[in-house]
Amino acid sequence: MTDTPAPRPAPLDVRPVKQPMWKRLSLVWLVPIAALSISLWAAWQNYQDRGTLITISFENASGITAGETVIKYRDVTVGEVEDVEFADGLTDVLVHARIDKTVAPYLDDDAVFWVVRPDVSVRGITGLETVLSGVYIEGNWDTDPDVAQYEFVGNEEAILTRAGQRGTSVVLRTGDGGSITAGAPVLHKGLQVGYLEQPELSFDGNQVVVSAFIESPYDRRITSSTRFWDTSGFSVSFGAGGVSLDVSSIASLIEGGIAFDTVVSGGQAIRDGQTFDIYPDEQSARDSLFTDPNAASLQVAVLFEQSVTGLTKGSEVRFQGIQIGEVDQLNAIVVGEGASAQVRLQAVLDIQPSRLGMSPESTPEDALALLSDFVARGLRARMVTGNILSGTLVVELVQIEDALPAIVTQASGQYPVIPTTDSQISDVAATAEGVLQRINDLPVEELMQGAIDMMDSIERVANDESTRAAPASLVALLDEARALVASDDVQAVPGDLRKVINDIDAIVTSTAEADIVADLDAAIQTTAAAAANIELATENLPELITQIEALTAKANALAIEDLVKTATDTLASIDRLVGSEDAAALPASLNGALDEMRGFLEEVREGGAIENVNAALASANEAAQAIEQSVSGLPALSERANQLVAETRAVVNSYSERSRFSAETLATLRDIQTAADAVSALARAIQRNPNSLLTGR
Amino acid sequence: MGSAGTEGGLITARDAGLVACQRCGQVHAQDALYCKRCDGRLQSRDTESLQRVWAWLFAGMIAYIPANIYPMLLTSTLVERSESTIIGGVVELVEYGSIGIAIIVFVASVVIPIGKFLAIGYLAISVQRGSQDNQHQRHKAYEVVEFIGRWSMIDVFVVAILSALVQLNTIATINPGIAAVSFALSVIFTMLSAQSFDSRMIWDVNRTAE
Ligand SMILES: [Zn+2]
Repeated sequence: MTDTPAPRPAPLDVRPVKQPMWKRLSLVWLVPIAALSISLWAAWQNYQDRGTLITISFENASGITAGETVIKYRDVTVGEVEDVEFADGLTDVLVHARIDKTVAPYLDDDAVFWVVRPDVSVRGITGLETVLSGVYIEGNWDTDPDVAQYEFVGNEEAILTRAGQRGTSVVLRTGDGGSITAGAPVLHKGLQVGYLEQPELSFDGNQVVVSAFIESPYDRRITSSTRFWDTSGFSVSFGAGGVSLDVSSIASLIEGGIAFDTVVSGGQAIRDGQTFDIYPDEQSARDSLFTDPNAASLQVAVLFEQSVTGLTKGSEVRFQGIQIGEVDQLNAIVVGEGASAQVRLQAVLDIQPSRLGMSPESTPEDALALLSDFVARGLRARMVTGNILSGTLVVELVQIEDALPAIVTQASGQYPVIPTTDSQISDVAATAEGVLQRINDLPVEELMQGAIDMMDSIERVANDESTRAAPASLVALLDEARALVASDDVQAVPGDLRKVINDIDAIVTSTAEADIVADLDAAIQTTAAAAANIELATENLPELITQIEALTAKANALAIEDLVKTATDTLASIDRLVGSEDAAALPASLNGALDEMRGFLEEVREGGAIENVNAALASANEAAQAIEQSVSGLPALSERANQLVAETRAVVNSYSERSRFSAETLATLRDIQTAADAVSALARAIQRNPNSLLTGR
Repeated sequence: MGSAGTEGGLITARDAGLVACQRCGQVHAQDALYCKRCDGRLQSRDTESLQRVWAWLFAGMIAYIPANIYPMLLTSTLVERSESTIIGGVVELVEYGSIGIAIIVFVASVVIPIGKFLAIGYLAISVQRGSQDNQHQRHKAYEVVEFIGRWSMIDVFVVAILSALVQLNTIATINPGIAAVSFALSVIFTMLSAQSFDSRMIWDVNRTAE
């Protein structure tokens, strides 16, 4: 206590001279300063490194969570969602996200974003990891920094073509997008080499347009002569080649798909975004290779006299077996005027000049000139059977040897007309008709005509005055002739022949009139009988012919001219004779012979059949031979006809069976189709809502 | 001096001309510079005390800011990856219905540190202003602050244990976040701050006011 007064002044003095604040500062202050500066530096650094804020608007932000959902670029996280909110008017969901500063400059107008969700499709399952980890936003942009953007519109679907992916994108057009879905494969020789993007309606709404991406290096296969066709589902075609069932990959069965091929070389290289048409099937795609759909075609008309049943719009037009065009229109037109007016069936043919082997630049006029030239050299149009079962017809341009001269005319109206020739319709009925036609064509008429001619000559001879005034030798000859004519053999000839002809006539009329197929058997049998008759008749012919030849020889031996001459010479005396009583007493035998002859001739003539046995007996001989030949041909012919009938019957039977078969086939195919539709619907449902597979709903 | 002693009913060592060794408690005469027992430096009053208190306190408060902003736990499981801050964790616990645990965490991580800041700040200010009020209570508060300081580390221990135990690669992993470090630093700085406080000054008001 005593100390206290002593030290007291000292502290008082010391206090004011306290060391300045900064000298008394404790080193400990460094700690908060360091802490503060570290904090500030970290904050500043954080602020500096903070990503660029971008906004992506989505229609549906399901699964996106602020602070959790990340943004990935090529599977590397480059940003994170900071906030999710609605746009004004609740139209869209705005997702605000921070993107790494290093990446942000690349987000230019080609940047796209979409939400990756689990996706189950027939091509596989994608985005499965997001089932557990939650969705994320994937972005895609190319590697060229451009004007950076900060607001984007998110895609609803993942894009298929990544920016920078190597390949070629082409635009495909089709009239019907029913068989196309996004992601469907593009096949080349059965391999998937690309895929389709989302199909869209074209600007004018008439077509469906879809981008297809063909991966490198397959895109090098595409040239301007490449054709794309639809391979979706399966196709059943029932054509001349039989039934063909075409199924592509299972994926394309359900999702649809497009295939392409480049069959011809020489196409030009394509640029990105070139437009191609999708053909309904491979065949039409390949056919189209020879056609430039934009090339002008030549239209010519063909006038047919007979029915064009089986010819339709679109029927092929062939030239030497190659399709050069198709039937464009079918209509009836009136040809001529007044009494000569006729209705003809006009087929307008659409001919592609390029398919005629002309250069692609050639115009329809060039093609017409070429065709006119061909026509002048015998080119004709005709209908031929394209498919014997369906009875479809095609128009064929064919070179006819020894054709009657004709030219391409402009007569019928607006189209030049190509002359026609007989059609070759291998119709069942037509074939049967052909058989009968050949029977009809047997040279019976010639034979008859020859016989008539001969009888005429004989009559002329007989009627000749000089013959009447023939000497006794002639009388004797006539007697012989009478005897011959009167002989049973000759008398029998007209009857036999008439019978044969009547039979044949009956056959021809009955077969022609009656139901050909049904009566064909009967007709053939009758024909066989007729043939037997003819054969029988022919058996007698050689004998007859010998006799006739003998007669002719005798007649020839008479040297008619000389005879006539001498007859003329003797005419005077005959005249005299006529005047005399001898004339009246003309040998009764001659008169009788002439009468008989006349009667015979009358009979023959009335029979309307023969009146025969030609003056030129050689021709009778020929006729006989012809008959013999045809008769010998007849059995074969009838056998063919029989066969034909049998075949026809088989065809008809099997056809009716087959129609049941095809009905069943079609029903089955329809079932398959329904099943495929159901699978397809399921696949689409799953694609629309992949969660359903996972949640079972 | 006498008045001081009489007023508070207490006589300080300084009033008695003595100085106690802070380490071993040996009492020396006021002018002694070193403890004769433990050779420790003797100081009747630590004149730098308040400076250090404030310095450590500021450091602790600065460190406490990132401790709350940044995530404490980085939990990644097969399904998700989450980061939880202190407050976020408390809110989550409340949402899950674990009110008790939430309270413990909240008290240990928020109430205690902030209470410590306030308490130390209050003590330092009151000493600076030479307040004469509640000297006993203030001294008790100081004792509490010093005692409770080590328990503030409970959060850090939890994080450390979890991080050490839950390392199951892809299935579940827990890692400490920046906040854990910040929080630990904050607690340490606050403890240092509390320790820097020379509680003897609470009783010096009369002298300084004199
Ligand atoms: Zn000591």
